[in-house]
Amino acid sequence: MTILAFDTATDVATVAVVRDGEVLAERRSRAIRILHEIESALAEAGVERGAVERLAVGTGPGSYTGLRMGLITARTLAFALGVPAAGVSTLDALAAGSPGATPVIDARRGEIFTLQDGQPSVLAPEDLPVVPGSLYVGDGAVRYRGVLEDRGGTVPGEESEAHVPWARHHAALAADFGSAERLEPLYLRVPDAEVAVQEGRLRI
Amino acid sequence: MILGLETSCDETAAALVTADGEVRANVVASQAELHARYGGVVPEVASRRHLELVAPVVERALADAGAGLADVDAVAVTRGPGLIGALLVGLSAAKTLAWSRRLPLVPVDHLHGHVASLFLEPGSVEPPFLCLLATGGHTLLLDVQDRAGYRVVGTTLDDAAGEAFDKGARLLGLGYPGGAAIDRLARAGDPEAFSLPVARVPGFDFSFSGLKTALVYAVRALEAGELERRRADLAASYQRAIVRALVGRTRAAAEALGAQKVAVVGGVASNSELRESLADAELAPLALCTDNAAMIASAARFATAIPFPDYLALDAYASAA
Repeated sequence: MTILAFDTATDVATVAVVRDGEVLAERRSRAIRILHEIESALAEAGVERGAVERLAVGTGPGSYTGLRMGLITARTLAFALGVPAAGVSTLDALAAGSPGATPVIDARRGEIFTLQDGQPSVLAPEDLPVVPGSLYVGDGAVRYRGVLEDRGGTVPGEESEAHVPWARHHAALAADFGSAERLEPLYLRVPDAEVAVQEGRLRI
Repeated sequence: MILGLETSCDETAAALVTADGEVRANVVASQAELHARYGGVVPEVASRRHLELVAPVVERALADAGAGLADVDAVAVTRGPGLIGALLVGLSAAKTLAWSRRLPLVPVDHLHGHVASLFLEPGSVEPPFLCLLATGGHTLLLDVQDRAGYRVVGTTLDDAAGEAFDKGARLLGLGYPGGAAIDRLARAGDPEAFSLPVARVPGFDFSFSGLKTALVYAVRALEAGELERRRADLAASYQRAIVRALVGRTRAAAEALGAQKVAVVGGVASNSELRESLADAELAPLALCTDNAAMIASAARFATAIPFPDYLALDAYASAA
């Protein structure tokens, strides 16, 4: 089984070509270059695009724009190549790369995305229950290192690979392959304008 | 055939156009109703909807044309200007479609796309001509000497004409989008009932922000309960002021440039009073006035294609350079 996996939800986008559990190629880049990296990774792996059998894509949470670029690429690839796809949470992929660690993604606006009781959630870094001595990974952990370390948490160095949601983990975690149309992004927040309407602040 | 994609604002569109400019399919999924509850286009809401609509719209266009991806020779897509997050959804889809079949990609300037709505068959318009491009985001006078591009002769210094229609409709309580609502209501009103001045700016530029303010004052000056009775007159007078400004500047520029032909494109080109006032001009077909992908595929026939795989890292741009 040859799986093409990628994730563009965070500032570091990743791509992996995995066959029967063996990582044939893996790259990191930025969301806008994802297709270029897919092309390069397939070439490096010696896999023709027509030989890709499954897609695994990161569903976030993360940057809304980056997330959408990955999902539209997955949906379009699934359509053009006629292959099934599966979504994998970017938080789950990060956690898979550092067993025992808590994944923390920068949600901007002073907030973080993390897993709480296994569920993706958005909260202020100060509200994360930090367990002294435990490990925190992801670009959110790097950004709020002070907040986490002040309360006894451990955050690997900025250059650590533990902060990257490597796409090999998406390939490993992917299950329930099917139509790419049902893959939904994990935004975890409604648009500001919707909040304004609901709170009656927006007058039309 | 060229497969065109357009996602620069609040329409998700795909089209198939032949090299000769024949439209085989033209599918537009409008998000107008979605944005009505916010009183205007919300970029994040638009981007989220594009993600859901692009694939179905492309599949529908292929089905309408009775074609498959194997019949596509090039993929055209709006690269800008527009809402960056919205553009990136269409651009990512277009790049991926082109990549999957090693096709060339043609990035299209959205404004060139509007002009190229005139190059589709039947009734393709031959340059040179002076083109008034009026939409919700742009109001430009363009000197079009050939089908590959244009030169900007005049532009709006503040609001676009379509934006002026939307803001006016909001002030009059007509909802969003406002252009069609004002057009409809104006037919029942007296266009000379209110004197709403349009700022005169030098050259061939436009300014509509003062007009909006004039409407605010006209509405405020009404007695309580009078707005209901005078709404049609206000709509008619407001529309008259916008159309007068557009027509006046267009005629003046045509004369100054010695243009033999005048054309009108963009969403505001569907306004009935504007169409009547410039009846001698080449008017974009109604179905091609608002954002669509047929015009993008049309422009691609005259734009520079990027061969596979040189476009894989191509980015979008929000505003014209």
